Amino acid sequence: MSNLNIDSIKEHTYDAIVIGSGISGGWAAKEFTEKGLKTLVLERGKDVKHIIDYPTTNKYPYEFEHRGEPTFAIREANPVVSKCYAFREDAMDFFVKDQEHPYVQEKPFDWIRGYQVGGKSLLWARQTQRWSDLDFEGPLRDDFAVDWPIRYKDLDSWYTYVEQFAGISGNKDGLASLPDGDFLPAFPLNAVEDYFRNTMRDKYIGRHVISARCAHLSQPKQIHFDQGRAKCQNRTLCQRGCPFGGYFSSNSSTLPWAEKTGNLTLRPFSVVESIIYDEKLGKASGVRVIDTNTKEVREYFAKVIFVNAAAINTNLILLNSTSSRFPNGLGNDSGSLGKYVAFHNYSARIGAEYDGLKEFTTDGRNPAGGGYIPRFRNLLKQETNFKRGYAAGFSAYRNTERDTSGLGTALKAQLLSKNLGPWQVGSHMMGETIPKESNYVKLHADKKDAWGVPLLKISVDYDDNDAKMKKDYLEQLTEMFTEAGFKNIQVNDGGQAPGLDIHEMGGARMGHDPKTSVLNKWNQLHDCKNVFVTDGACMTSTSTQNPSLTYMALTARAVDYAVLSMKKGDL
Amino acid sequence: MNRRFAIKQVLIFAGGMALLPSCFREGGKVSIQLKNLDISAAQESQLAEIAELIIPKTDTSGAKDLNLHLYVLKMLDDCFGPERHQQFMGGLKNFEGLDSKSLAQLVTDANTAKAGLSEETIEFFKFMKWKTIDGYLNSKYVMSNLVIWELVPGRYNGFFRVKSA
Repeated sequence: MSNLNIDSIKEHTYDAIVIGSGISGGWAAKEFTEKGLKTLVLERGKDVKHIIDYPTTNKYPYEFEHRGEPTFAIREANPVVSKCYAFREDAMDFFVKDQEHPYVQEKPFDWIRGYQVGGKSLLWARQTQRWSDLDFEGPLRDDFAVDWPIRYKDLDSWYTYVEQFAGISGNKDGLASLPDGDFLPAFPLNAVEDYFRNTMRDKYIGRHVISARCAHLSQPKQIHFDQGRAKCQNRTLCQRGCPFGGYFSSNSSTLPWAEKTGNLTLRPFSVVESIIYDEKLGKASGVRVIDTNTKEVREYFAKVIFVNAAAINTNLILLNSTSSRFPNGLGNDSGSLGKYVAFHNYSARIGAEYDGLKEFTTDGRNPAGGGYIPRFRNLLKQETNFKRGYAAGFSAYRNTERDTSGLGTALKAQLLSKNLGPWQVGSHMMGETIPKESNYVKLHADKKDAWGVPLLKISVDYDDNDAKMKKDYLEQLTEMFTEAGFKNIQVNDGGQAPGLDIHEMGGARMGHDPKTSVLNKWNQLHDCKNVFVTDGACMTSTSTQNPSLTYMALTARAVDYAVLSMKKGDL
Repeated sequence: MNRRFAIKQVLIFAGGMALLPSCFREGGKVSIQLKNLDISAAQESQLAEIAELIIPKTDTSGAKDLNLHLYVLKMLDDCFGPERHQQFMGGLKNFEGLDSKSLAQLVTDANTAKAGLSEETIEFFKFMKWKTIDGYLNSKYVMSNLVIWELVPGRYNGFFRVKSA
């Protein structure tokens, strides 16, 4: 590797470059390589090979030095990532440590990151719902952002396309707000979740509780076996990496698929410093990469570049890609790049107990996590004093009841008791937040990271609309729980900072008008047509649904368009 | 010595069934490596007695068999900060040097937070009991023999009939 300087440009030239190997980067890699394009995938972190690099996947709880708990020293050194529910001994190595990759919080923002091949697709909670026209038409109807340049019909067939490959479990629920997909069988609701569904159906119009839709192979098809994946084993140890490929990740699915084509080159340890803009050609010619081990700077070239670095880092790369044509960042003629960042409000939850249905409990584990309550507020028209609405999780479970007040043999008997307590029920809110110009990310003027890339300043916060919406969620769920006869209702408006939802979106939003948006309806930079963004950065608004499935569909669609354009000679 | 320590740590934390030969001990010191706490051999054996009073041996293993007091120390040392360390050490003092009868009495009193006991005593005992129970339920012994934890369920039944007692 010592003679890289004399490598010809040709050896560093590919048909396509994909920046990032997470959920959307993996899809870009699969689509490009399947279509026969020599594709370079750049990943800033280490390699994680499916199964081989899942060191904790088969461990029992007592095999973890601290039974899963992060140590005091680790928590002290990592105040941000320690807040994440999945940052425990079994999956800690898949998370970015605070000090290794600092950023500047102009306002509290818990930025949760996974820098490795597969990115956060190894760690995600795997909830996958389609968006509907109630989401894509939202900004226009409720006048809170630019109009999406696409509608549901533009994505419908692409949703089907990615669902079939990834494997999504769910029921056909027939809801306008949550279009049905091409599903594998759903993981059924349990006794109390089902009871709550029926009660809501009887007592309300338009409030539904459905089986959570998730990216798990409940009943694999041939296409999944062809990927080397097998049926989900209900282990619910997903964050460790799944040796069965039971859930969808880049590692188990799209990347090995891309590799099999012979067209994939995967380069871990490669931080993209910037995208190179060629003034003469009037388009991007490649990317500048810093090897994280050697700190060597290298350049790679391609006809088309997909930026899939995860929403905020995608903004960082574009902002840092300056040239005389684009002094404020690549494709930033509108000045909107880095602005209109939004997220999901996960800051409230509610719990209670239910005295009934004691003849039932659960056996085994549900990887879908239980039920899902689709948005019911302001759905068909504006009816509250806040804009948009929230979806919610809902789940029920029973624990063994153990009285630990005693000592000695009495205590021991209690600890080994198999007596079940009452059902516990819980819900958490997933609120849509409004993209605003004042919620932004920017490059720091002086501070740089270990590779000379400017640090990012993040200034993102809740607003009055979020507060009103949260209040409504707690009121409505309290009422719904009361209607269902749940007792001992406890509300928690937690007040977690933005970021911890791990659904940051926007900054390079899609739109019709180059004056107010960064990307067109094909996820293409308005002002630099051979660069595409199909991760969370592209999102014009945030909906209440989880965004990952939409990133997958947008990516497959954009690659298709890019390849067609290349064939026509347009790129 | 490092290799010995390593072996001991594995024995203790891979399930805690092994009893440590006393020759592993260095004069008067606790038998596991601790980073922050300074625990004497005498304190260690008193902690073992307290743990055994919390979870005694019956027809199944008890705290001493499972080295639960060492689990408590390991967790305290690694997963808690200086304040908790201080509180624990302060409370422990009141349990040192007691004969078995007085110790059993103090443990009973601390468990009910009997009036007149210092806050440190009560807090020490709360922590000791919490982590002893935690170590017990999360031990290989209990998880493999008594309250079985399954790595692969491969199933989910949301309407599982509870057997009538």
